[in-house]
Amino acid sequence: MKKIIALILALVMVMSMTACSGGGASAGSDFSKMNVTCVVPYDAGGGTDAVMRGLADAAKDSFKAITVENRSGAGGATGMLYGANAKNDGSIITMVTVELTTLEAMGNNAGLTYSQFKPIMMVNSAASAITVKADDDRFNTLEDFIEYSKSNEVQVGNSGIGAIWHLAAAGLAKVAGTEFKHVGYDGANGAITDLLGGHIDAVAVSYAEVNSFVQSGDLKVLAVMANDRLEAIPDVPTAKECGYDAVLGTWRGLAVPASTPDETVAKLYEIFSNAANSDAFKEFMTNTNNVIDIMDGASFNALIADQLEMYTGLVADLGLKVG
Amino acid sequence: MDMLVEIFTTSLTPVVFLYMLIGVISGICIGALPGLTATMGVALLLPMTFGMDAAQGILMLLGIYVGAIYGGSISAVLLHTPGTPASAATAIEGYKLSQRGEAGRALGVATLGSYIGGVISVLLLVTISPQLAKLALKFSSAEFFLLAVFGLCIIGSISGDNVEKGLMCGCAGILVATIGIDSVTSYIRFCPEGNYNFMGGISYIPIMIGLFAMSQAFENIEDIFAEEKEQIKVTNIIPKKEDLKALLRISPITGLIGTMIGIIPGAGADIGAFVGYNVAKGMAKEPEKFGEGSIEGICGPEGGNNGVTGGALIPMLTLGVPGDAVTAIMIGALTIQGLTPGPMLFETNKVLVYTIFIGMFIANTLMCICGFAGIRVFSKVLSVPKVILTPIIFALCIIGSFAMKNSLFDVWVMLIAGVVGYFMSKAKVPTSPAILGLILGPMAEKNFRTALLKSGGDPTVFFSTVICWFFIILIVGTLFGGQLKEFAGKIFKKKAAK
Repeated sequence: MKKIIALILALVMVMSMTACSGGGASAGSDFSKMNVTCVVPYDAGGGTDAVMRGLADAAKDSFKAITVENRSGAGGATGMLYGANAKNDGSIITMVTVELTTLEAMGNNAGLTYSQFKPIMMVNSAASAITVKADDDRFNTLEDFIEYSKSNEVQVGNSGIGAIWHLAAAGLAKVAGTEFKHVGYDGANGAITDLLGGHIDAVAVSYAEVNSFVQSGDLKVLAVMANDRLEAIPDVPTAKECGYDAVLGTWRGLAVPASTPDETVAKLYEIFSNAANSDAFKEFMTNTNNVIDIMDGASFNALIADQLEMYTGLVADLGLKVG
Repeated sequence: MDMLVEIFTTSLTPVVFLYMLIGVISGICIGALPGLTATMGVALLLPMTFGMDAAQGILMLLGIYVGAIYGGSISAVLLHTPGTPASAATAIEGYKLSQRGEAGRALGVATLGSYIGGVISVLLLVTISPQLAKLALKFSSAEFFLLAVFGLCIIGSISGDNVEKGLMCGCAGILVATIGIDSVTSYIRFCPEGNYNFMGGISYIPIMIGLFAMSQAFENIEDIFAEEKEQIKVTNIIPKKEDLKALLRISPITGLIGTMIGIIPGAGADIGAFVGYNVAKGMAKEPEKFGEGSIEGICGPEGGNNGVTGGALIPMLTLGVPGDAVTAIMIGALTIQGLTPGPMLFETNKVLVYTIFIGMFIANTLMCICGFAGIRVFSKVLSVPKVILTPIIFALCIIGSFAMKNSLFDVWVMLIAGVVGYFMSKAKVPTSPAILGLILGPMAEKNFRTALLKSGGDPTVFFSTVICWFFIILIVGTLFGGQLKEFAGKIFKKKAAK
């Protein structure tokens, strides 16, 4: 009998612990009296996590408390879905990334769509940088690379099939009328290591991710798929300048559930745009080789809609749609 | 010599020692709690280093790293609850010893084994890191695949007497790992329509917590009101002569192997520990004790997992390539300080590099001292009555699996794994092969497919390099070593008879 009672007690404890959920803040939209949580849909220690933590640190004085929470999984869908369905008083802010559009384009979004969010602002963006080994004599310009790929197999590494750097490389190939062989890794690190070891020909990840190897002279960047040349590498042309109109890359921004009142969003915009313009955040972003790229909520929303259309077309052309 | 003076006067100040001590102690606590891994510990405490200078920050993170890899073994030995995946192999023998009332002995050996493994890896880091670093770049998909297959062969040795059951359990682990979005083609496998929890895949940490800790807690309930045994005295904390002999024979070797595994990007302390266990079993003087509580079975994985710590720093410092998940975060920590890890660091910031070398040695020493000083305190856990201890373990399991990703889904995974684990232990099915399958299955699959994708479907890619052949020989040796020995013996006998 005692055993059974003990078992029941233990079960009750377990159940009650799993069932309990934290009470939300109800201080209206007076953020100085509010505990705010920022959801990062990727693991702690990654690029998105770093930007969010840097920004949260710069904005911490405007809130009673601000914490960063990592909810990773399903290529970012897990965390973004959580954020989209959170309370609409501005107490849960999600860092949305380009995957908000690429997941839907790919069809493995599990119901996630951008209209579930009301964007606050875009914070930063990073273009794809076509990077090869520094001692690779075959490629000195992007033109060399494209021409070579028309008659030979070129293996281009990315951070995962269907992830942004894969789509960026595929988008470039489409514009240039050629084909690459795409090799997917779990994250950019694996692709870069394989390129350093000479096992693949190129990677199409962001400049921030290859910066240290370009500095050390192991790798060289042929072109960046941005609108303008990057400040850090002013000698490297954009893909546009080389004659290939491909502007592709990731972006990150803040968003709240779609039903959040506009005045709350406006207050959050004010707080976070001040934080993003602070010297501390600027220094943080320069040190981590990230580019600050601020855009207000309305323009950000338009950009997201545009990008979804573009990626849906690209995925259909490439036959990548899975779900 | 001048540099040493400079290091000790400028960067290794008493404050830095304090930071390292804080790092090691918090690392041990983080490691000992199930669900909080070394990676998470370093990531969570990273923002604290923003305000410090580069040396202070990185040394504190190193302290956390070294401490957490060791700390996981404390709960593995005392409660059958590996605090981090790196300690799953230690739980096999450690808990058996603890049940026999030899917890102090097991913890003492684990502490010293960790120290030996850590120091060996630091020695290699200091002396031949540029040469060894090249190894990291030699590894590509084919080599990773063969490494994973070699790791899976270890299932045989961690299954004890139940090799068939162990193999089935390992296969079940590999199967569970296939759930979710496949990383090569993004195809969605075994997912209920639109369920994003399944799409992300089943993480192995909640399963590990369930299979080891939760199932153990369920078992505790069976006799929760039984008369408590006599107060267990924690004795023999300082290893005796024979234990020391075993430590000095096995831990340096597994530390060396751990260092090599640490160098390879993508293979971390968990794999280092399992390989260490396997090697220890091969080297053991008393192999029959494995599975029943073997001291040698602790020397192996403890040397192996702490060996990884120094090894993982080798490609990070010399190439800027992370050796495992923790060093990937440390690269981030250095870049935030405006430093770029990689070959340039040795030229532009020699003092920092050597500070890290010396700091790593100090961190290991602090870990060893804190470990021995704390064994008596940790072991108090054993004198807590089961009525109180068991609910605490329940709570820790739930918090730990939730904390991973702040996900309730992971808590359910852990609970289900706990129930499954309970019945598995009733049916005498070993549980660690499932963990090995979960960790190595995806690694083997992904790299197998990527290797073939790169070679255009040509299978000779798996036989194309020296490293490939090295692993093929290891695999054949592990699987057929016994038979080969027998066969060779027969031929030899025949010849002798003639």
